[in-house]
Amino acid sequence: MLNEPEEIKKKKVEWEENTVQPALKRFLLTESPTRFYTPADVGEIDFLNQIGFPGQYPFTAGAYPTYPYRPAPRSGYQGAPGLKRTSIYAGYGSPEDSRDFYLEMRERGQKGGPNLAFDLPTQCGYDSDNRLVRGEVGKTGMALDTLRDFEVLYEAFVGEMDLDRIASNFTVNADSNIVVAMYFALAEKRGISPDKLRGTPQNDILKEFIARGTYIFPPKPSMRMVRDSIVFFNKYYPKMNINQLGGYHIRAAGATREQELAYSLAILIAYLQEGVNAGIDIDSFAPRFTINSFGGSMDFFKEIAFYRATRRMWAKIIKERFGAKKERSMIIRQVVPYCLMGNENCTVQRPLNNIARSLVGGIASALVGGPPQPYPPYDEALGLGWSLEALQITEDSARILQYEAKLTEVIDPLAGSYYVEGLTNQIAEEAMKELEKIDGMGGIVAAIESGYIQSQIAKSAYERQCRIDRGEDLIVGVNCFVGEGELEVETNRLVAHPYNPKRREDAEARQIENLTEVKRIRDNTAVIRLLNELKVKAKNNDENLFPHFIECAKAYVSLQEMCDVLRDVFGEYQSPGL
Amino acid sequence: MGKDRKIRVLIAKPGLDGHDRGAKVIALGLRDQGMETIYGGIRQTPEQIVQAAIQEDVDVIGLSCLSGAHKYLFPRVMELLKERRIEDVMVIGGGIIPKEDISGLKEKGIKEIFGPGTSVIQIGEYITANVRA
Repeated sequence: MLNEPEEIKKKKVEWEENTVQPALKRFLLTESPTRFYTPADVGEIDFLNQIGFPGQYPFTAGAYPTYPYRPAPRSGYQGAPGLKRTSIYAGYGSPEDSRDFYLEMRERGQKGGPNLAFDLPTQCGYDSDNRLVRGEVGKTGMALDTLRDFEVLYEAFVGEMDLDRIASNFTVNADSNIVVAMYFALAEKRGISPDKLRGTPQNDILKEFIARGTYIFPPKPSMRMVRDSIVFFNKYYPKMNINQLGGYHIRAAGATREQELAYSLAILIAYLQEGVNAGIDIDSFAPRFTINSFGGSMDFFKEIAFYRATRRMWAKIIKERFGAKKERSMIIRQVVPYCLMGNENCTVQRPLNNIARSLVGGIASALVGGPPQPYPPYDEALGLGWSLEALQITEDSARILQYEAKLTEVIDPLAGSYYVEGLTNQIAEEAMKELEKIDGMGGIVAAIESGYIQSQIAKSAYERQCRIDRGEDLIVGVNCFVGEGELEVETNRLVAHPYNPKRREDAEARQIENLTEVKRIRDNTAVIRLLNELKVKAKNNDENLFPHFIECAKAYVSLQEMCDVLRDVFGEYQSPGL
Repeated sequence: MGKDRKIRVLIAKPGLDGHDRGAKVIALGLRDQGMETIYGGIRQTPEQIVQAAIQEDVDVIGLSCLSGAHKYLFPRVMELLKERRIEDVMVIGGGIIPKEDISGLKEKGIKEIFGPGTSVIQIGEYITANVRA
């Protein structure tokens, strides 16, 4: 540094007295609403060790050394080779409905395999004909009960788009192994060899206990299933990604960004440990861990700093705690960083304002090395399934940020900023403190079993709501700038979303018919035998259940039938109270 | 309801939707506003909710759903209350309820729907003003 920090500090005091104070007087302010940062605030920046070059340890500046994304003419970014992206997250109704939806989107130019949303019964291990789940079948995604349903869905993916040419994404967690086993069974039936299959199950059960809620079994047997997935993929399905991690749901549930980072790291550590405990070399499976998303907020600079801190800490943990040697084991493998403004900050009031809000996230996303993703579409809060107008605006916003504002031409442009480097360090330090606390409790599984994580998140969520209700945290059009003189700008969704509302309404009835037929014509003697065998195998913790799940899938054993056996053996998770 | 008896509220999430941030925040907020709140949690069937409401002798049931299954689940709670001849419990709801669904739910007996952006204070004031004495 050319100027000594002490000299800068001295001059800053003089500036405050001689320049700021008179200005405050002139502008009738009692105190300054702004801050200013100097080199003295951040001290000596160790560029090579703390920031480094993009695409190199510690990855603070970026996961990749260059900007790898290529825009598709429609439907946003297709990614680059190796970052091949599946379609937009979608799915609804019966498998027929989802199949037809994907075919329709293909006609609109959307390539790629399915990025499949499942309904809640499927995610929670229930069949569509279970009375308990009435009203839920096919609502938040596609209903999946047996292999037959994947056979129908994947009628949209044949020939040039067969399973060896596309990648599939499955947002499923507690029963991820069963769903993936059905996918493997389908591939077997189609004569596609395991080493060609590409896909990514979310397979991140630990966050379900603390944020998202689609758990089935208690944490320990759930970790056994995670182990099964790591070992089985590593051995037989080398092109499958093992999971999609990231604290997106944790932040959306109310965690602060430091909590999100700490809990995400603690969860990562637990999963990596399963692979290590199973005797697999860290560099052999860690590169198969991916990231879904982290969370965000409207606090622009803090979210940029958060991403930088997250990349650095992620890499450090994998290198220092687990001794990884390959850089590919340490990077945050994410299709795009895309929730930087925090989806939950979208408002129902004056929904077009969400365009401005998502732009904040899109710009932040560009400045942390991603494509500018002004996400979500403005009608996020209006209901499940976006309008095509909102999707078009989102895509155009991304194009404007990249081609008109040229935001992606410089990687990590805020590197070296006295403010942002200081923020990055601060967030990393606070997250580290919370992570060490969890280490002290014996790790994330213990912290979940004790209810500690859940109560921390609920507390943060409540504190945020109190700040909103007190008017300390401002949300435009909701708790400020409302009333007389303000226009309640509304919006109409004119271009119907390709989810067919009528099909969505009667999907449940049709899927129950489908399932009844499957159960009628399958070999029910074999089903009973396979379920009995499953019970025995489940009781043996050392046995990998994947091969048996695949056998069950091929015999059209249903998702719930398998889960019920596991419920019997593993128990069901009981959530702690408030 | 005597002057000393606090308003008793059951907050629960029917169905499989696990997004419980709002439900928890409302439960904590109403507690801070002097009500006795029972947090029923997620994965409650309508039967379990009504049973808990009776057991806990609540004045208000608050239902939360973000998964789109409200059109079945909320009226089902009303049906069960009717079957058990419970008439003096106010049922309110929230979550992600599309505008076009609200009047249908009110016809089935849901007193009010509170969408995103509602302050917990607003909900507390509504309950205080409208709960059966």
